[in-house]
Amino acid sequence: MSDQRESRTTVYCVGLALAAAALGAVLGVRGPLPALTPLIALSLLHVFAENQITDLTPELGSSAGVMLCTAAIVVFRTDQSALGVLLVGAAGGLYLPHLIHRDWRKLLFNCAQFALVAVASAGVFWTIVGSGKTSPGLLLLAAIPTALTYSIGNVVLVSMAVVLSTGQRFRDVLLVGSREYFVFYPFALLGVFLGLLYLDYELALVPLFLVPLIVARQAYSSYLALKRSHEATVRILVGALEAKDPYTAGHAERVAEYAQYIGLELGIPPNRLERLRLAALMHDVGKLVVPNHLLNKPGKLTAEEFDIVRKHEDVSVEILTRIDFLAPVAPSATSEAAQFSPIADDRGQPVEPHIVAVADAYDAMTSTRSYRRALSQEIAFAELRKNSGRQFHPRVVDALIAALRRRGEVHGAGHEMYVHHVSAPSGHLGSAGLGDLLPDGEVEDDADSTVRS
Amino acid sequence: MKYSARLMVLIFVGGAAAVFSELTNRGGRSTAIVLITLGVALGELMVLRPPHRTPIPLSYAFMLVLVRGADPWVCIGAIALAELAVLPLRDGDWAARLAQSGQHLVAGIAALTAYEALMAVDQLGPTPRLLTALAAAGVAALVVHEAAAAFTDPRWPEVGGADLALVASGMLMAIGFRGVEPGESVGLWSVGLFSIPLLAAWYSFERLALISRTSEQTIEALSVVPELAGLAPAGHAARVAELSVRVGDQMGLRRRELEDLRAAALLHHLGHLCLDAPEARERPIEPSEVSDQGAEILRQTDLAAAGDLLATDDARVGSQILRAVSAFDDLVSRDMEASEAMDALYSGPGFVYDSRVIDALDRIVASAPSV
Repeated sequence: MSDQRESRTTVYCVGLALAAAALGAVLGVRGPLPALTPLIALSLLHVFAENQITDLTPELGSSAGVMLCTAAIVVFRTDQSALGVLLVGAAGGLYLPHLIHRDWRKLLFNCAQFALVAVASAGVFWTIVGSGKTSPGLLLLAAIPTALTYSIGNVVLVSMAVVLSTGQRFRDVLLVGSREYFVFYPFALLGVFLGLLYLDYELALVPLFLVPLIVARQAYSSYLALKRSHEATVRILVGALEAKDPYTAGHAERVAEYAQYIGLELGIPPNRLERLRLAALMHDVGKLVVPNHLLNKPGKLTAEEFDIVRKHEDVSVEILTRIDFLAPVAPSATSEAAQFSPIADDRGQPVEPHIVAVADAYDAMTSTRSYRRALSQEIAFAELRKNSGRQFHPRVVDALIAALRRRGEVHGAGHEMYVHHVSAPSGHLGSAGLGDLLPDGEVEDDADSTVRS
Repeated sequence: MKYSARLMVLIFVGGAAAVFSELTNRGGRSTAIVLITLGVALGELMVLRPPHRTPIPLSYAFMLVLVRGADPWVCIGAIALAELAVLPLRDGDWAARLAQSGQHLVAGIAALTAYEALMAVDQLGPTPRLLTALAAAGVAALVVHEAAAAFTDPRWPEVGGADLALVASGMLMAIGFRGVEPGESVGLWSVGLFSIPLLAAWYSFERLALISRTSEQTIEALSVVPELAGLAPAGHAARVAELSVRVGDQMGLRRRELEDLRAAALLHHLGHLCLDAPEARERPIEPSEVSDQGAEILRQTDLAAAGDLLATDDARVGSQILRAVSAFDDLVSRDMEASEAMDALYSGPGFVYDSRVIDALDRIVASAPSV
């Protein structure tokens, strides 16, 4: 962050904190002071919710915030103690990692924005329902505009901070993640119930409310940990096993990374993206059954050898099919499924095999193989474009090129992470063809038109 | 039928019944009872699957709402109706479906009995009495559930967070629906909204179960690679894994140790894939090289404990089991009778195989010669 942005962001955060503190002081002097027990209970709950859930999924953390602020608005409604709502809101900003790392600016900003947004929401809620006896139905109805106020306040204040710290346009920042705010509405309704339960039974029912949330949090945390561990294990296993072919070491991991780039570029949802990444990581697992001397053979293969090498696709499919989660994308491992066909595309065929095919071919072209040295990135792009709409899916090719350009990544000749000293011929336009691997003496029909992975 | 389609069928049928009830009995409680019954039915298809624990249906939480909010006979009727409604939508054969529905109906009745019994106790104040009665109802349902599960898996259940989440949500929904005293209730809305934390728990456990299954299947799938490459007999890894776990179980290994043993057994030929082909080497491949290579790979991952079991210098029981069972399967795969294979293991040098392991293996082989 530049110095100018840094200082602007600091001024903004401090300004917001001063505004919240001033509001708190005014409310403390003028308004009724809040009852201590609900203030402490709801504040602690808010701190707990933000710290326990935000590190898993930020949007759920915020939704716990809207729920607890709404509960505070309901609890403090009778005596209209806005200070109580402000303090419960501010408690949500006490995020432990910020405290530990003494990130005072973030702490100030979060406490202030939660406090201000909570008070604004209370203003809306209390204007609609007043302080007298009201039916639960009206309270629920009032929760909708309250949540709307909360989400608008939250998104505007947070977007301002992002704009000041990153220099992005306000409109662009505003649109990012705006869908997440729909989650706020059911949680605001839940907050109304929590508030009503608190008014009826005080703290007796709070543990009942907390237990499922804590259990959900722990289970989700275990899921995330196991997911990371599983992917790391597959990555290491595949990496260790493919090390038997020095020319393709790291290939699976790179293909998984490129597949992820393409998936993100095409807007594939997170679940499918996870599947795609794992499938890409394991797409060549069948190659483990191919003897080393064939994988590392510098010259052309005999017809018999070629058949053995080709068989690895079937093995890959068989392995992927055995894993329920990956079975739907098992065809990604075959060249037939990855072959682009406009008719199949119109029928809504899955795009994953095409993504793996393009990522696979791109990595094959930009890394040195036993039969030729790495091509440059521009030649690889040219090959992909030349076969776009025939061998490769055009949208997928465009997505990969756009993703790599956006990230400023360059791969291929001169940029390889692992360089092998081989007597393989240098790469050039057209040398990525299947002809490189064709059995000895066989004439390729359209040798230069097919990129071999 | 797809899972989502089954849920949709229930929602459609239950929704239609609720509309009919509202049209014929406007303002009555029957519509709320119909909708809670729909919750029980949906809860039968949505199951909490915590690790190492019998799956528990969410329906038990909704049963607590019926227990609190409906008359006893209406409660039993509603649960029975929900169990009947899901009967065609369950997995498995009809006998298993009937058994499951019947068992859940009994769990509901147990919950109702416990609730009514404790609500009759006058010594407690209204709120503590209600909380105790609802908690007892939830526990009663879970006890029946576990008792039924004990027929298939007699091990002591690992009761934990899922049980607490289920009972706590059920209690909260029940109190929200009818309150402690008349007039305190929030109504049907509370049932829907207080089910959100429970649904969050359900979703989290579903994700956890999915990734656990994927992780297990990945190991199983990778275990087949050496066999497809012709480096081990077909089915060798799966057989060794199954038999090793049975031997380990008999020798009193803990659950975690059995899991490591299973992973090690499944992947004990993996190291072979990294070694050069015999024709490219000066000497033939030794089994110890395969094991040590596999151990080296697994030790880089979260399966390090399984990797340790593969190392030839490891003397723990798990390693001994794996060595003996793998040798046994090798012999049996060469068309040797199981008894002959056991004799061969017994007559092997004493320092190669642990006699306690061989004895345990012998007992299992003797009890099921087809092994």
